[in-house]
Amino acid sequence: MLYWRQAGLNYVQFSNIASRIVRRCVQENAKKDAIKREEAHARINKWQDGKMVQTKASN
Amino acid sequence: MSFIRPLLTIKNAQSQFRLISRSMATEMSFTFASPAQVIYNQARNVKQVDVPSLSGSFGILANHVPTLAVLKPGIVTVTETEGAVKKFFVSSGSVAVNADSSVQVLAEEAFPVEQLDLKAAQEQLAEAQASLSSASSDVAKAEAQVAVETAEAVVRAIQTGV
Repeated sequence: MLYWRQAGLNYVQFSNIASRIVRRCVQENAKKDAIKREEAHARINKWQDGKMVQTKASN
Repeated sequence: MSFIRPLLTIKNAQSQFRLISRSMATEMSFTFASPAQVIYNQARNVKQVDVPSLSGSFGILANHVPTLAVLKPGIVTVTETEGAVKKFFVSSGSVAVNADSSVQVLAEEAFPVEQLDLKAAQEQLAEAQASLSSASSDVAKAEAQVAVETAEAVVRAIQTGV
């Protein structure tokens, strides 16, 4: 069994780590765009009685 | 009516042969993509593809046995029909080889090997080794080890092309 499976990691976690490293191993011009791909943004709006009561941005 | 039987047998053999020859494609339909870019889209001009998978590296030609595998960090080598050889470094992802000789390589990150940066890779390797030696839990150790092996694969790819 693979050591990282043994430690409880799954393939998605393995893939995340591997691609994170690869993105940092490319030449400067490609690196900027690559690292930008890591970011994920979500905006959470809470609604109450038909009105927006709270907005929270998270990343 | 006994002469009919051999004729039927020949007819049967012919149709079976046609069936087999139809399923034997002479070329593969190759798709290679990452979330950021499409490198090959059902390309017909590809002769062979070599992929690094968790269960070992293997080469794919037309009529390869149907296979599913997950990628490990390493070089995908694409040999085009005209003889051009292109090398891409992939981080991870999946490869599917289907019965109709269509092949899909879907990578989370894929870069032409020429775009890799040796200095950056060595920095990543040193950083990963440092976090490996300071890791306390099993999970942190495994995560750092994955990072070390990925950075090592990048350095190897730049230095030796393998």
